[in-house]
Parts: sequence; structure tokens; C-alpha cells
Amino acid sequence: MAQTTDIVPAVEVPQDKTQMSQLLWQGGTIIALVALIVVFGVLSPAAFLSFGNMTNILAQVAILTIIAAAQTVVMVTGHFDLSVGTTATLAGATASALMINGMPVSMAIVVGVLVGTLVGIVNGILVAYLGISAIVATLATMTTVGGLAFIVTDGTTLYGMPESFNWIGQTRLAGIPMPVFFALIVAAVIWVILRYTTVGRRWYAVGGNSEVARLSGVNVRLNVLLAFTLAGLASALGGIILVSRLSSASSTSANDYMMLAVAAAFLGMTLLKSGQANIGGTLVGVGIIGVLQNGLNIVGVNTYIQQVLTGIIIIAAVLMSSLKSKNA
Amino acid sequence: MSTATAEPLVPQVDRLALRAQGISKHFEGVAALTEARLEVRPGEIHALLGENGAGKSTLIKVLTGVHQPDAGRIETAGEEVRFSGVRDAHHSGVVALYQETSIVPTISVAENILLGERTPSSGGLISWNRLYREARRQLDRLNQGHIPLRRLAGRLSPVQQTMVSVARALAADARVLILDEPTAALTDTEIRDLFTVLRALRADGVGIVYVSHRLEEVFELCDRVTIMRNGQTIVTRDVAEMTIDEVISTMVGRSAEDLFPERGTATDRVVLEVAGLRGNKVRELSFSAHAGEVLGIGGLAGSGRSELMRLLAGDQKRTAGTISVEGREVTGSRGVGRALEHGIALVPEERRSQGVSLGATIQDNIAIANLARVSNAGWVSASGIARLAREGIADLRIKTRGPRQQVGLLSGGNQQKVVLAKMLARNPKVLLLDEPTRGIDVGTKAEIYRLIRALAAAGTTIIAVSSELPELIGLSDRILIMHEGRVSGEVSAADADEELLLSYCYGRKA
Repeated sequence: MAQTTDIVPAVEVPQDKTQMSQLLWQGGTIIALVALIVVFGVLSPAAFLSFGNMTNILAQVAILTIIAAAQTVVMVTGHFDLSVGTTATLAGATASALMINGMPVSMAIVVGVLVGTLVGIVNGILVAYLGISAIVATLATMTTVGGLAFIVTDGTTLYGMPESFNWIGQTRLAGIPMPVFFALIVAAVIWVILRYTTVGRRWYAVGGNSEVARLSGVNVRLNVLLAFTLAGLASALGGIILVSRLSSASSTSANDYMMLAVAAAFLGMTLLKSGQANIGGTLVGVGIIGVLQNGLNIVGVNTYIQQVLTGIIIIAAVLMSSLKSKNA
Repeated sequence: MSTATAEPLVPQVDRLALRAQGISKHFEGVAALTEARLEVRPGEIHALLGENGAGKSTLIKVLTGVHQPDAGRIETAGEEVRFSGVRDAHHSGVVALYQETSIVPTISVAENILLGERTPSSGGLISWNRLYREARRQLDRLNQGHIPLRRLAGRLSPVQQTMVSVARALAADARVLILDEPTAALTDTEIRDLFTVLRALRADGVGIVYVSHRLEEVFELCDRVTIMRNGQTIVTRDVAEMTIDEVISTMVGRSAEDLFPERGTATDRVVLEVAGLRGNKVRELSFSAHAGEVLGIGGLAGSGRSELMRLLAGDQKRTAGTISVEGREVTGSRGVGRALEHGIALVPEERRSQGVSLGATIQDNIAIANLARVSNAGWVSASGIARLAREGIADLRIKTRGPRQQVGLLSGGNQQKVVLAKMLARNPKVLLLDEPTRGIDVGTKAEIYRLIRALAAAGTTIIAVSSELPELIGLSDRILIMHEGRVSGEVSAADADEELLLSYCYGRKA
């Protein structure tokens, strides 16, 4: 690391990790998840390992899964979306406000999803067509959309959504809360899009090197716009399911999910040799965060310390993935 | 000291500026260097040559402390040294300037020259007066006093950036200066300027190691040459004792004959018709190209030759004129996808930043320009992607473990083959090649020349831009020379010589 003045030399000699160390490297994040489960299982076997608590963890991470999947889509293209949390909040609040005021439930949900999609389109236009860096653009929309959520809720918490709406967040199927299934569906759909469709290939190509993608005939701007749009749409779904689960829509209900979604996606990036964002990895990341939060609660660690730990996990994940891309 | 005098047959020159002997280095069990040696005298320009993968880069990295050798001995000024990092090498006066510029673009010229420990300061505060005075002194030494000290280094031209990095090396008391492809981004006049500076440094007693794939430069500039092959040093000789053919055959380990394949595949059928084309740096250009023809495009940097390629490829906006392929006009003023649909494919100039995505696999790199071939109604076929990559690997003889290998781990020549495979999979009618062999070793160059001719023989129209005149002449059937956005000369390659082409390059009508 003594390079002060010389820029990184061009790589000419292939440096391959051996199979075994590569496996360990890539498996590290999964091993961490298993280790966490073992540790909490030993510390508090009765409470932590019960079926009730396991389904509880799943229910807790369902919304995070959806929003982290949205974040993953944008990160695949090499960008960032800081507005996923407030977008989810706004979509949930909008749908709630509309149905409280008498709009049919399905109609209100559609409008809520459209609002989130619209935020995604705005993000996409700002980043892809107006050339604003994603961090700055989505930081601004995050703030603006967060403000709109306050306006929609009038700064209060909205109650009194119709019973038929609660079905989404509060019923169970085979003992497992409904949001878990929605989360799995969203994750699966995004996984399929990323892996098996041409648009997914283009997103990965843009994230790898947008200049190369452009010269290969990819419409880079349009594809970045599409990624942000899908992220907005998925975030909105997450926000709407959240308010249904809580039977209430506050002015900041889903805001905190943004940071956790970033953490999950970063953790997931450590799973691939190429260091790319990917849904499978993001799910592992979500698992780590969910188990950690739940386990710490059960063991009796307060939420403030949990927040400190979340930040540390993000740093560890980013360090791991940057170390790896140096070795790759 | 004792080792320097231990060889009685060698005339006692001075102490060598740098002496490396028996240098071996392995990576993951693969030998990158086997007992390599290099001796640099003070006040000489010493060419270090070899194909990509011959071990030049590794040797340089060992000499500059980036890598530590497994075995061997390094001496500077007669004393044995051990470098545990770049900093140690700097302290011993060994400095390397790499291909990609080694300046910090966002700070001033003066700060770049006295970067790091050299920044004059007192009590933790920078002494700006001393900084500017010292930076000025270093630039004056290079006769580059006209470079503004306060300008952001990133705003300088490529040659000025190179000068600034040379000045920084001098400020660090470099006794051995290693230059890796310093002319790759420079125009011919800029290369002249750089050579003047290097000759002045030689007169000052600096030992210069010069790595380049451009052999003409080596013969013009260098005193001695060391040639490497397969991680070993093959020979060190005076440049004056060797011919270009000898150098090439030593590098590749076989004769350099037939570097360029036979011409004679051009037909009369017009495929590409360009009329009244205008755009950035291109002013009113009309020409046509035929099936089976290799049309070479030459010109100085800034003449508009690369811009022409980007216009044809749809990557830059066309402000006037038409482009037609087999009579079908390309619609719209820009769009790479549209040009591709009309059968025009570009292999761009900058391989590492425009040609391939280094972090992605071979198969993903090839697939991205061929999604229509490997998908059905938007659904991608994984086996189709792998099959396409295997075809490309076989057709172009890409040296790799398989379609899933990361492109960044391939050699430059093989990376270029991946770019070619990506575009060839589209079966283009018109293939645009911008500097198709830049930074590629001689062996792979010959392979790419044969490939280009084979494509032409199969009826493809090839348009190739090259800044190397011998390549332009050897490869093409017909040559267009550009000057200030226009065609300043057109010749059949069989009748072309470098003198004639150069006069067209400077806008003179012969």
C-alpha cells in the first residue's frame, strides 16, 4: 500500500484465487448468517428457535426484502437509490388516505403503486437524462418525497383503513404471514428479470461499464430509467403492504428501510466474485439483518445499539466487497 | 561494488545506474519471470521489448518495488537494494511512469510535480512560494516552462501530462526512469517533444528504460535494447547492431515474415456509401467502400479519423449527410443500436474502457451486443450465451480457461479478440476497426491481420483507422488520409509509401 504517487499499474499477470479460498471468501457472508443463527440459538434456544419466532423473523423482514430487492435493481446498474424508503412511505400513506376517504381498496392500491412508480421515473430522468449523480438526485427526491408523505398524512398517523385491506398484511397462510409470500413473489420476479431477461442483462452490462454497453448498442439512458422505475414500483408495493400490516400509515413509516436495504444489498454483493449486486445475495443480507435484530431483541440488547451495529455491518460488507474486487 | 568489477571483459563504463540479475517471480505457481536480467547505464535510453506476457511489466514492477522477487539481486549505483514497496524504489531513484497517466487530475501542475513528501512545507503548512519556485525549476529543466503551474493537471494535453509526471520523477531525484508506452496517447508532434526531453535527460546522466510496442520509435530513440520472451531475458544489444526484422523475430521466437497477409479480396460491389457527412471534427466527407475491401483511414491525431468512426457507428451526432449500407440509408442522426441493425459494427479505440467490461465474463461481454441472437421475446437463453461465447473463443483462438473467465484476467491481445468476437457474432456488413492492434504484441498482431483479411475474403467491408503508417499500408487495399475533417488524399495501398501518406497527413497535396 506504499503507492503514493504511482497510479495503479495495469494488471497483466493473472492472479487466480484457489478454489478453496474462493469458496470461503464467497461463502463468508452465508457462514456469518449461519453463525448468527447458531449463536442466538445457543444463547436463547427456547425463545429464538421456536416456530413462532422464526415466522416472526420472516414477517419482520418481508417488507425489507421487497425494498432491498428494489435497491438491488438500481445497484445492478451501478447506481444508488436513497429514496426507496420515503417512496414506500408516500405510497403507503397515499393509498391509506384514499381508501379512508372512500376510494375502493384496489383502486387506492393502484394509485399508491403509480405514485411510487412516478417517483422512480423522476429519479431515472434526473440520473439518466439530466446527468445528476444518483446519490445527489435520490437524496433530493428522498427529501421531497418524505415531505410529500408529511403533507398526505398531515403529519399524523392515518387509521381506519377498510377491513378488506388488512387482509394483505395480517392474514396467514399455513401459519406463515401473508407479507412473506408477497416478499417472495417480488424477489422471485426481480430475480427472474435480472437473470433471464434481456433487460436484466442490459442492466448488468450498464453497471459493469456503461461506455462499453453503449458502444455495444445498449440504450444506456433508457435502461437506467427503467431500473429506477422498477425500484420505485417495488418500493411502493413494500410501503403499501407495510401499512396494511400495521393498520396505520404514519408520515415516516418506511423511511428507515432505506439504510437497511442498502446494507442488505451490500452484504449480498460480497457473495459474487464479480462484486455485483444480486437478489440471492440480497436475501442473505436481509436474513443477516433480520436475525440480528430479532436475536438482539430477544437477548435484550436495546434498539439504539442495534442501530450502531447496522452501521458497522454496512462498513464491514463494503470493506469485504472492495477487498474482493481488488483480489479478483 | 565487488560484483561490478568482477567481470574483467566488460569495459569499466561507470557504475551501472541499475542492475538486476537472476530475477525470478512466480504467481500462484506460474513463473512470470525466470532469471531475468536488465542492466541500465547512466545516460542511456534502453528499450525493453517483448510480446505481451513476456514479463516486461512484471520485471518493471519488481524493479519499482510493486512486487518482491522470489530470487535475484537488484543494484542501484553499485549497491544492492531491496524494495519492499514503491516508496523504497523512489528513495533509490527508480521511478516508473505507467501507461495510463500518473498525474492527479484535480490538483494543480505544481502540486503534482511536488506531490507527497516533496511538497515544501513548514510547520505543517504548505510553502506555496517554494512550491511554485521548485516546480518551475523542474519544468525549466525539461524546457517545458510554458506549462502553467497553477492549471489543473487534468486540463493539460496528454503530452503535457506526461511531461509533468517526468518532472515529478526528476524532482524525486530519479536516476532511473522507466516509461511504459509513453507515446500511446500522443500525436506525432507531441512524440517529437517527448523525445527531445528524453534525450536531454540522457545527456544529464539519467538512465531511461523505454517500453514500447512501436519499434520505429525504439530504433529512432534508443541506444540499447533488451528483449524478453517467456519471462526470460533473451538478449541485450546495441540498437545500431540490429534490424527491425531481427528484433521482431527475437521477440516472437520465429521469423517476422508474412506479418501482413496477401491482399486481393476487394470486389467492385459498393457496400458502404457515405455522402456529405458532417459532424464533430468531420467536415463534408464522401466516400464509398466495397465488399471484401480493407479501407485504411489515416491522419494525424485530431484530423477527425476517430470521430469519423464514431459517426459511422452512430455514437456521435451526424449534423449533415447520409450513410447507406447496401443502398439502405441509416435513419436518425445517431444511435449505436441503429447502426448495428444496419450492419455497421465498431471495435473502439480504447479497449479497456470502451471495448470490454473488464469485470464481466467473456460470455457476458459477447452476449451484450448479441442479445437478439441469444434471446426469444425478451427471455435470455443461458445455453445460447455460452454457445455463442464458445464459438467466438474457437473462431478467434482466444486463450482462456472458458467462456466464464473474467475478461480482465486475459492479456491485451486476447481482450481485443473478445471485442472482435462480440462484434463478429453480429455478422456485420461493415466492420469499423479503430486502432485494432494498439498495445498488442507482435504475435497477436499478425493473427489479427490474418483475421481481418479472412473477414474481407468472406465479403465483409473493413474500415480500419491506424496511426501506424506501416500497418496502414500493409493491411489496407486502399487508404484515405484525413486532414482537418476532410479527405486530403486517397491512394491504393500497393502504390503507397510512408512519405506520400505523411505529406497527405499534413494536408499537402502530393
